[in-house]
Amino acid sequence: MTTEAVSVRAISLELLLSILKEGEYSHLELSAALEKYQYLSKQERGFLTRLTQGVLERQIELDYILNQFSNTKTNKMKPVIRCILQMGVYQLKYMDSVPPSAACNEAVRLTAKKGFSQLKGFVNGVLRNISRNLDKIVYPDENKSPILAASVRYSIPEWMLLQWSRDYGEQKAKSVAAAFLKKERTCVRVNRMKTTPEALIQALKRQGIAAERVVFSEFPKLDYALYLSGYDYLAKIPEFADGQFTVQDLSSMLVTHIAAPKKGDYVIDVCGAPGGKSLHAAELLLGEGFVEARDLTDYKVSLIEENIKRSGLKQICARRIDAKILDKDSVEKADLVLADLPCSGLGTLRKKPEIRYRITKEDEVSLVKLQREILSVVWQYVKPNGFLMYSTCTMDRMENEENTAWFLKQNPQFSLVYERQFFPDEGEMDGFYMACFKRTG
Amino acid sequence: MALRTIRMHGDPVLGKVCREVMEITPKVKMLIEDMLDTMYEAQGVGLAAPQVGILKRIVTIDIGDGPIVMINPMILKSDGEQTGGEGCLSLPGKAGKVTRPNHVVAKAYDINMEEFEIEGTELLARAICHEIDHLEGHMYTEFVEGDIYDVEEEE
Repeated sequence: MTTEAVSVRAISLELLLSILKEGEYSHLELSAALEKYQYLSKQERGFLTRLTQGVLERQIELDYILNQFSNTKTNKMKPVIRCILQMGVYQLKYMDSVPPSAACNEAVRLTAKKGFSQLKGFVNGVLRNISRNLDKIVYPDENKSPILAASVRYSIPEWMLLQWSRDYGEQKAKSVAAAFLKKERTCVRVNRMKTTPEALIQALKRQGIAAERVVFSEFPKLDYALYLSGYDYLAKIPEFADGQFTVQDLSSMLVTHIAAPKKGDYVIDVCGAPGGKSLHAAELLLGEGFVEARDLTDYKVSLIEENIKRSGLKQICARRIDAKILDKDSVEKADLVLADLPCSGLGTLRKKPEIRYRITKEDEVSLVKLQREILSVVWQYVKPNGFLMYSTCTMDRMENEENTAWFLKQNPQFSLVYERQFFPDEGEMDGFYMACFKRTG
Repeated sequence: MALRTIRMHGDPVLGKVCREVMEITPKVKMLIEDMLDTMYEAQGVGLAAPQVGILKRIVTIDIGDGPIVMINPMILKSDGEQTGGEGCLSLPGKAGKVTRPNHVVAKAYDINMEEFEIEGTELLARAICHEIDHLEGHMYTEFVEGDIYDVEEEE
């Protein structure tokens, strides 16, 4: 028999390459790896998560540092070498538990293992040099070039900071960027059809998992959300498997909370996967009424179905329907239409750090087109006196406020009853936008 | 010191049930010494005789606490559960996730054909189970959960 000497850094490197080079999503890659390497100790799992997410979160800063010490600039490096160096710098700068020698040696070993033995000296030289001069790194001047300085400091692309500065002011832009680097706990919604927040807190406590009630003073009635911390592997918590709670960001909970479907309502969620808002709505129906959660692909519908099954809720079904195509049978049928549409996702950079390097201004423009296309179809499902809740998980005026203005102009039979942009610096939550319209004619 | 050739996964000898050792002959003694040498050279923590092509019920184990030689080994009791990666010298560079008992009590004969009992947890329990499986013609690949994956090899 042999024992495997699989190194956590090597796993992290593979994850980073598939995320940065192949365009995979970090949260999916990471949870797949944690599932595959279940036997890793809790410490090793923590290290893997922290290193992988950290390198993704700090790309711009890490490259900036590397470029001060390497004659070969990061954009000219082989992707594998660049990634190994970024991992090295991240450990040197942000992981106090890692001795500098270990950060350097492990990077050199990884270099050799990936078949670049001839570059061992280069990797070693650059990292040891950075290690010695860590406190002498010169950052861009905050006064002379504030946007560039913030971009390096928070690893947010300059165009994004400029857009936020223009839309929300420079202070807010910086505060938002800083908020994305803060750790957040996992937010869950208690399934009150199965348990109570109190009972769940106690049950989790007995397993050593800390659960704390979410308090959001603007919405005192939202008393069924908890923040969890100190768990190792979510799927192994029996209360999770039993559907007593669902992982859902506070911002997304607020959408259904504010839309507030009542007993007996008929609700259509036009882009429902994975089903968080739909299930929340089904819970609020208190046993009377129905929720139809729709999405574009069989895979997405299967995600919703899995979550419905776990929740044990009956007033809900999942269907594959393309939101862009009018479903004639649904016209004027719904008391509430939830339209949480595809968006640039800039509010979710804490959970999906890599998308900041992928999304472009052009993407935003084409998303606006798609959002308008869907909105012009799905409003037709709303009954007179019913509601349409439009939401996105982004901070972009074009996709949010400007779409709302456009919609109201196109559809004078609707009036705006609620509008709010939520920012990630308001608490442990994503940035989020919602606009609730009432059909008056 | 003599090294023997380790048979690779797919070699029919690895699928055969081994015979009991009736007496310690000089040949058996030599085999055991060679097995230990071969195991250490290949940086394994365990080796079974069929892995060097000999269909005898002999295994050597060293999980870092010194060599253990087990002749005609038998598991008396096992309980608990551990799931983790293990590999095999007959399938180098690979590993897979296998669930094994976390605690094992076994008996065997030593090199003087005297009976002894051994108790192991975690890695030792895993190694005892893995090696005894070889004597029955089984590889860990039959029990693996999920994929068999590549592990990096030390240079």
